[in-house]
Amino acid sequence: MTALLFARSERRVFGRVLPTLVLSALCLMGGALILLGAVVPAKAVVAQILLNRAFDQSLAEHRPVKPWPWADTAPVARISVARLGVSEIVLSGGTGQAMAFGPTLLAGRPQIVLMAAHRDTHFAFLKDVQRGDLIEIQSVRGEIKRYRMTESQIVQWDRFAYPGNPARPLLGLSTCYPFGATAHGRLRYVAWAEEVSSPMETAPGRQYDW
Amino acid sequence: MPVTLLPHRSRSRPLPGLFLILGLVALTFFTDRLTASEPAADPDAIGSGTLMLQGKGVATAMPAMRLGTDMDVTVTGQIARVRVTQAFRNTGTQWMEATYLYPLPEEGAVDSLKMVVGQRVIIGHIKRREEARHLYEKARDEGKKAGLVGSERPNLFRNSIANVGPNETVMISIEYQTPVRLLGGEFALRLPLVVGPRYVTASTPVADAQAITAPLAHPALKKKLNPVSITVHLAPGFVPANLISPYHRIAVEAEGDQARTIRLAEGEVPADRDFELRWRSASADPTVGLFRQQLDGDAYLMASITPPALERAPASPPREMVFVIDNSGSMGGSSMDAAKQSLLYALGTLRPQDRFNIIRFDDSMTRLFDDGVPATAEQIALAKRFTEGLEAGGGTEMLPALQSALMDHHPDDTGRVRQILFLTDGDISNEKDMMAAIAAKAGRSRIFMIGIGSTPNQYLMRRMAEAGRGSFANVGSGDEVAVKMTALLDRLAAPVVHDLRVSADRASLDLTPRQLPDLYAGEPLVLLGKGKALSGTLTVSGMIGDRPWTRKVDLSDATESPAVARLWASRRIADVEAARSAGETDDATADEAVAQLGLAYGIVTTQTSLVAIDETPARTDGATLTREELPLLLPAGWDFDVLFGGQAAGTARTGDMQPADQAEAMDLPQTATGYMALVVQGAVLLLAGLAGLALLCREQRKELRA
Repeated sequence: MTALLFARSERRVFGRVLPTLVLSALCLMGGALILLGAVVPAKAVVAQILLNRAFDQSLAEHRPVKPWPWADTAPVARISVARLGVSEIVLSGGTGQAMAFGPTLLAGRPQIVLMAAHRDTHFAFLKDVQRGDLIEIQSVRGEIKRYRMTESQIVQWDRFAYPGNPARPLLGLSTCYPFGATAHGRLRYVAWAEEVSSPMETAPGRQYDW
Repeated sequence: MPVTLLPHRSRSRPLPGLFLILGLVALTFFTDRLTASEPAADPDAIGSGTLMLQGKGVATAMPAMRLGTDMDVTVTGQIARVRVTQAFRNTGTQWMEATYLYPLPEEGAVDSLKMVVGQRVIIGHIKRREEARHLYEKARDEGKKAGLVGSERPNLFRNSIANVGPNETVMISIEYQTPVRLLGGEFALRLPLVVGPRYVTASTPVADAQAITAPLAHPALKKKLNPVSITVHLAPGFVPANLISPYHRIAVEAEGDQARTIRLAEGEVPADRDFELRWRSASADPTVGLFRQQLDGDAYLMASITPPALERAPASPPREMVFVIDNSGSMGGSSMDAAKQSLLYALGTLRPQDRFNIIRFDDSMTRLFDDGVPATAEQIALAKRFTEGLEAGGGTEMLPALQSALMDHHPDDTGRVRQILFLTDGDISNEKDMMAAIAAKAGRSRIFMIGIGSTPNQYLMRRMAEAGRGSFANVGSGDEVAVKMTALLDRLAAPVVHDLRVSADRASLDLTPRQLPDLYAGEPLVLLGKGKALSGTLTVSGMIGDRPWTRKVDLSDATESPAVARLWASRRIADVEAARSAGETDDATADEAVAQLGLAYGIVTTQTSLVAIDETPARTDGATLTREELPLLLPAGWDFDVLFGGQAAGTARTGDMQPADQAEAMDLPQTATGYMALVVQGAVLLLAGLAGLALLCREQRKELRA
């Protein structure tokens, strides 16, 4: 009889403690995942604030200023789309690490500039950029170039090529596609913009009303 | 008490069940994340972008960097050792970087790179591909002279050389070995000298397409560009006879009884066609060739064993022949004529009991009959008219044609042998897709390849024939059609030896190829083996017709050769590639296996490159470096106008080395953090956990009340 009682209480312990443990672990894991996920946009936003400050300081002092003391990447340009109220600091180097903080420069030559950023953070605005939108790039030396979006393409990551020597300077902005997806895929979305030189072409309200 | 125990147990049962459900919910979320790496939509349907590569254009001016090539070949027994010396001479006033695409025999294994700068010789080292490229680029940017040899395909190599000063000459010397092919008692050494322009299918990654193409020299530049001189020291181990070079005029000099030196009669020739040298033995045809090498405690063996010829050819069974003929633009000119004549000849050999079909392809394809038809006089006449009407033009989409040819309406018909005869120059970029299609769908079909033209893609010919358990041959020009086609059609009537088995009685040997082929008439079985020691006998057995055949060779008879170990490694790599295309190994494993073999044996593979760096700085910081990709000659017999159509005229006028809008390839980085997925999954887990805990609490309260 005592043995039976004992067995019963043991069962109760297992019947309660084990589920409690498992469920708590589940809650903890869930909390950890949410934290892990939330860190990404938080990092993206905070880094941009620091980068903005460093960029303005670089512009003012005519020397590169590190956004934070241990940074291994430097701000090289500011990209802004006035219609969408977007303004972001572009970093040198196309590594995944730098991309957590801002758009990165893949190629930067007078005739062709290519940038990439994550579709769910810094380049989330690409899905709203339309043909005709003006995109402004201010380099760290202060020069401002204006580009107008002309076309977009969807391409597999390893089947992309760009004109090495285009007739007009080109700006290409690349991010993952499709925009809403949560899984990593093979497709990339590239928005292409051509440089506009004369003030006529950039005059607001002339061709596009904003 | 047991009565109360039961209700308790039954009451606590829903809880584990609940966990199970919650666990499953969580699991599905995780697995969903793992498997959803590919989008469900067909990516090709969206189109592969507006900026696809249009080739690298046509060069009409001589490049600033001039190239001269010398090939020094030593043939010992059945192995050729080739030293290729390329002299890069900078005739311009800029510091130059040059890159040059060139072919090698498909079984060649490059193991040595030397860079000669003035009096200094810099030895190249084997490194992993990315590491070698990195070292090269670093040295280039620091102004040091550097050379890099990389392999883009097993028979396609690229040399790069950086920082050659104005009026300076730098020599790059590479060495490789290749087995000599024995066929019907005749030995053949084939050295390709130029890469035919490859057709790039939409599925080829742009970076890869860039790697395997080069600008094309305008025909007006011919002769002055990339001249080649060739010397062959031939020591086959017997008195050579019937020396033939079908595509070049040669001068032969006797060096004693058993050796010959062969040079090009014209001294230098343009690199626009393959060089081939054939010879026989003056006495009886050799049936066994055995070579050995001892290296780092391992023994290597190469054995070439020819089965006896049949005294009387058996009546061949009725066949179902599928002819596949390539009429793409690259075949334009004499190649198309050779292919058509070959096909017409083959049609003429069909017997009434045979069935046949014809498939022609460029970037479209036509299947002459839905299914094979009996080879009646009327059907053959129709097929001949169809063949004669073919004209070259368009791209080379070979995969649909191959798949159509592999479609077998009677897979269980054992009374008939099904043979696919492919006539093509093989200038495609998606070789791997071909091998994969054959591995997956060959069934009972056997594949025979006929390489057409002055420089067919031998790697494709050999590997497709191997995967399709057939054989291959080349038809260089119209004159060769009759003799080559007769031999091939005789050969493919039926395999002479099948069900081959090999065993070694005392030594344990790691033999390659792992899958022994069926042998056609006159073909030897070429085996490469690695073991601890070579002793005892090697027994080869098989069936000739329905009679068993056995051949024993004494391994101690083997002659020493310093090339065997690397040939073994190179043949083993072909095994790895075959396993990859058959889907037996994944890409990462295969790449790693190839890299390990490349590093262990010091040979250039698709995963390993040779790099040589001269530590002496040459170019000062101020001087800029100009990059130039050397143009290649169009292979002999190719029709420039068919290939380029109207567009050539346009590019020719610009007279520009770099076409104005040359595309550059780039791999786009991964640009999705996927943090929303993390947050959603976390929320689901958290909710599940909380829900469970709430349930548990309620359960507990109920129990306490009870």
